Amino acid sequence: MALANFIKNTCKKLGENNKPTYVVMAIATVKGICRPTFTMMDKTENSETKKYTALREGLTEAIAIPAYWGCGELAGGLAKKIFNKDKALAGRAEKNLMFIGVCTAALFVIPALCSVAIKPIMDAIGLKTPEDKKNQPNTQTQLQKTYTQTQINPISNKKPFPQMQTFTSRPQIGLRVGGL
Amino acid sequence: MIGAVQKLLTNSQLASIAQNTTQSVTAETVLKSIGRPGFILIDKDIDSDTKQYAAAKEFLYQATCLAVYMVLIVPVFKKGGFKLAKEKIFKNTNGFEHFSNVNEYLHYRKLADNPSINNRQATLEKELLTTKDKVKDKYNATLLTELKKEKPEKFTYVKGAVELSNIIGSVLGLAIFAPQVSHAFIHPALKFLGLEKKDKAVDNQTRKIDTKA
Repeated sequence: MALANFIKNTCKKLGENNKPTYVVMAIATVKGICRPTFTMMDKTENSETKKYTALREGLTEAIAIPAYWGCGELAGGLAKKIFNKDKALAGRAEKNLMFIGVCTAALFVIPALCSVAIKPIMDAIGLKTPEDKKNQPNTQTQLQKTYTQTQINPISNKKPFPQMQTFTSRPQIGLRVGGL
Repeated sequence: MIGAVQKLLTNSQLASIAQNTTQSVTAETVLKSIGRPGFILIDKDIDSDTKQYAAAKEFLYQATCLAVYMVLIVPVFKKGGFKLAKEKIFKNTNGFEHFSNVNEYLHYRKLADNPSINNRQATLEKELLTTKDKVKDKYNATLLTELKKEKPEKFTYVKGAVELSNIIGSVLGLAIFAPQVSHAFIHPALKFLGLEKKDKAVDNQTRKIDTKA
């Protein structure tokens, strides 16, 4: 019964004024919940990439919701100010400008806000892009490289006779047969 | 110039689109499908191949979402929502009893939104192209009386039920269903256009260079 009343009230309000912001905000909210969930459910990707993608998708929609609302309401308010003398025209202009505001948000405002805000937020949280991780020097690989380089260019090579240091680089543990 | 802007801002057709869920969502998706690839293409920081690939991918994503939305979601939820509201939630009350389907209501609403009574009557006297009946034959006496009034009843519950159903359909379609379909369609389409292969070749080339370096 309560649900039926809720639906009736919603229908009445939507019938009187169906703001263009309602549908886009509803879509962004569901996208913000469902897309990260689907990403986290993907079994083919590794855990870090999934976390990064899911958070990025969630953040995008979290930015989109207030952007849609803000642009729509701001544009609607502007229409009321411009056409304050004629109420009938003000009502129509409010709807039109709100729609234009929502389109502007979808085309310009949200992509701009995302490109400015997402990377710093992700960095602050400590999640980096998979590309960044690839480019970041791996400490283990670097250690191995240094180790190999020292083996290729030992100090003793510079001198005609081998020194004690040349042989001490051998592992000092486990079973050794012969030699030092 | 100011007059043209004022005309656009107070345009009744634009107001009708803004108040209609499916039309506004369609208009936004069309704008996104043109605008976003356009912005990618004019970006000077990306190389030509990547730009083409990214723009085509974005366009295909938006176009598929739009196609799925128009073909599957709009007809199902528009008709289904009206039927559900008429037969279950409102049970032939609050104006639903005057209309047999959603298109009849939308046509009535368009007439009721017209401020000129003369224009409304002229439309009612017109003949239908298919059956040669007059438009007014589709409406009952109550609706015809309403259309003669300066401010006719607009049956907000009917409009609200249609819009609520469209919002639910749009959310399910654009947030859940259409992205799944478009992801399945995008890669074969990009391969067909020769963009996916090219991109992979470029990627492989970069990898080779990196390995050697």
